[in-house]
Amino acid sequence: MPDLAWFVVRRLAAAVLVMLALSFAVYLIFYAIPADPANLACGKPCTPDRLEQARHFMQLDQSTIQQYLNFLKGIFAGRTFGDGTAAVHCNAPCFGYSFPLARPVTTLILERLPITASIALGAAVLWLIIGVSLGVVAALNRGRPLDRLSVGFALVGVASPSFLIGLLAILVFGFWLNMVPVSGYIPLTDSPVDWAWHLVTPWLVLAVLQAASYIRLTRAQMMEELNLDHITTARAKGAGEARVVLTHGLRGALVPIVTLFGLDLGGLLGGAILTEKVFSMQGLGDLLISAVAQLDVAVVVGTTLFSAFLIILANLLVDIVHGVLDPRVSHG
Amino acid sequence: MKRTTSAVAVAAALALAVAACNANNQSTSGGSTTGAAEAGGTFHILSTSKEISLDPAKSQNLGTSTIHLVLRGLTSWKTSPDKAAELVPDLATDTGQVSADGKTWTYKLKPGLKYADGTPIVAADIKYGVERSFAPELSGGLGYHKSLLVGGDKYAGPYKGAQLASIETPDDSTIIFKLNKSFGDWPWIVSMPAFSPVPKAADKDPAHYGEDPVASGPYQVKSYSPGSKLELERNPNWDKSTDEARTGLPDSIVIDMGLQADVVNQRLIADAGDDKFAAATGVSLPAALIPTVNGNPAVKSRVATSPSGALLYLALNTKRPALANPAVRKAIEYAVDKQAVQVAEGGPEYGGEIASTLITPGIDGYSKFNLYDAPPAGDPEKAKQLLAAAGVSNLKLLMVADTDTGMDVAQAIQQGLKRAGITVQIKPLDAQPLTDLITGNKADFDLTVSSWLPDFSSAIGNIQPLFASSEIGNGGYNISRYSNPAVDAAINAATAEPDKAKSAAAWGALDKQILADAPVVPLIYARNAFLHGSKVQNFYLPSYPPYPNVLGVGLSK
Repeated sequence: MPDLAWFVVRRLAAAVLVMLALSFAVYLIFYAIPADPANLACGKPCTPDRLEQARHFMQLDQSTIQQYLNFLKGIFAGRTFGDGTAAVHCNAPCFGYSFPLARPVTTLILERLPITASIALGAAVLWLIIGVSLGVVAALNRGRPLDRLSVGFALVGVASPSFLIGLLAILVFGFWLNMVPVSGYIPLTDSPVDWAWHLVTPWLVLAVLQAASYIRLTRAQMMEELNLDHITTARAKGAGEARVVLTHGLRGALVPIVTLFGLDLGGLLGGAILTEKVFSMQGLGDLLISAVAQLDVAVVVGTTLFSAFLIILANLLVDIVHGVLDPRVSHG
Repeated sequence: MKRTTSAVAVAAALALAVAACNANNQSTSGGSTTGAAEAGGTFHILSTSKEISLDPAKSQNLGTSTIHLVLRGLTSWKTSPDKAAELVPDLATDTGQVSADGKTWTYKLKPGLKYADGTPIVAADIKYGVERSFAPELSGGLGYHKSLLVGGDKYAGPYKGAQLASIETPDDSTIIFKLNKSFGDWPWIVSMPAFSPVPKAADKDPAHYGEDPVASGPYQVKSYSPGSKLELERNPNWDKSTDEARTGLPDSIVIDMGLQADVVNQRLIADAGDDKFAAATGVSLPAALIPTVNGNPAVKSRVATSPSGALLYLALNTKRPALANPAVRKAIEYAVDKQAVQVAEGGPEYGGEIASTLITPGIDGYSKFNLYDAPPAGDPEKAKQLLAAAGVSNLKLLMVADTDTGMDVAQAIQQGLKRAGITVQIKPLDAQPLTDLITGNKADFDLTVSSWLPDFSSAIGNIQPLFASSEIGNGGYNISRYSNPAVDAAINAATAEPDKAKSAAAWGALDKQILADAPVVPLIYARNAFLHGSKVQNFYLPSYPPYPNVLGVGLSK
């Protein structure tokens, strides 16, 4: 088996173990809370008999371990709650069923993913462009006003909380200047223009905040890289300055940037909690936060696992890309 | 000079951009209400909900809320701005005929009633609708009927073929309910969502029935996308002449879902574009926005406030050693600074009037009295005397409060009690764990602030859930864990009384009897305040329920 394939297989096997451990931990945490999710389903007024009935239907009357095993079994075999014509089915792969939202967790994640992905991918492109280009500019203009400006911008970005910048952006550009919509999400398939139009503010807000670390990282890496011997050699051989900077300099500086980018994007795809909240967008972050508030364990476990999966996947991709960018890296 | 020029250029560019974009369709701003309601138009409801289920079995909605635009009941709520909601017949010809023993209620359906698809509404559909509310798969709704109907305690719904024998339908237009005890407020119970008709043939996928239920009201579901919006369009077979509760004025109703509460209020203040035809029906005006609203008369004219509302009260856990002595609880009645609580909740105009009774103004049985007469800020000296007389000193109490919504009031109470030498430690909790703690079986707290709104306009709803000993623990709301056999007996007698005037008097007497034992401190009759757009008419909040009646809202041109 080629090195790379073997590497991917081993990493995926490890990922499954990590996710098993994680799911068990999340289950335990939520069962340690002295609260009963069946209370919400019991109705008003809630009698002890009805509460017991609700608990039985939601399979909460079983032991924690049994519930966890049911969850694992559901992934391969699906689950059914209750019986008769009103029984609730959750088809395999069933990562739990949300009673408050009346849908399987897998469906909920697939419903919400396009929203989070729209926010995350758009913002990622922007922050990568802004961050890397300002970082390069700063490195080339070391100590001069352009450098100061870029570093200053990075400092403000790193120091600002996203909810504050987000709310200010809504207030100024949405309510006062009336340039952008104040909230809401339009699916790409409904209208690509409206989709982008509603996403401009969250993209920019996230990009400004995230670009900061890329500016600093790119600047530092580029300054180091531009002092190396192969750059001097390239210059001596008569290569143009643009070629020296972009082909020889930036390529070397990219490895840590790609690492950071992979992890940031992976994390963000799992739910841009604050951004989604501020801009009233129902993505994965919003799904998770609402589930925590409602003690909707199935959704919490499902979204946590999904986020973990994305991070693991991002890590894997980053490692593969490293090999492409830098032939010295081996996947053995 | 150069600096100025570039600043001007930037300003000009911004102005151009603003003029060109107009992203949120702001034609005017801060308009005030004008004109009268006319038929037609699209009414927008701005909502923070991400999911809306119109399944009658799962609904806890009050009689004036959105679900009743689509579903009719045997009876319904009719509101006016100056008094509490009244009960009117809806699908039924009257509010019910009761047998001499008070246990059998008979209803006749009006002739010619039809669903949106043109099929007739029959009594068996109402029976089936009630039956399915017993299924554990569809639990979560208002279930007062479940313990009242004979055999209801053992019945688990129709999905395995069983029927509930205590609901009889001798013909298509007659439905009879057999109760296990006399219950004078049964006509209110049959106004609840579970008493709307569900044709058995349409209930093929019960888990998703609520996304597009068979319509009996003026509107039917046109489209539903969770997290985004619910669109209602006219039901062509709804007959206005048979309906006293609904006006059915707008052509369509759109519920814009999943919005941030702040955004809802800011949009309604801005009153731009379609938001002129919009209102908030579940997002109350927060205290932080009151100065903005008060500073702009045009906006203020578009705020509807309720004259009364839920009772905000301080529960004293009577089962805890420190509070088991009634003399200590009476001292707390005097020590609490109700004025500070009122300020924390937004002042008299938006927060609500200071309370001294359990039954809230507007509900039959309310009479104004105060067993613990003190200035609005309390009487800490009197409290100290009472504590000294009871031989209590250095009283330390644990108060649990909602992290998000309850801290201001909790601190106002903490400060108030401190004046009487009572030390209160506040323990903040998230909403759901807090509810579980105070309604659960292990009540490790002394004090908590809660608010209570009855589910129907009767004093039984103010008293029974909070003070009957059957409601202690197991999710019940007797959070002061008050248990008094004499009060239990009086509650049972008042519940059984079919005569409205007599039952109101009985509940009024219970109000005084319970407060004499001081299990709770009434704080304020909490007002609600909701914003609406300048073209929204008939938008008001009655004393009960303190929410806008969406069944009567209309739009002006």
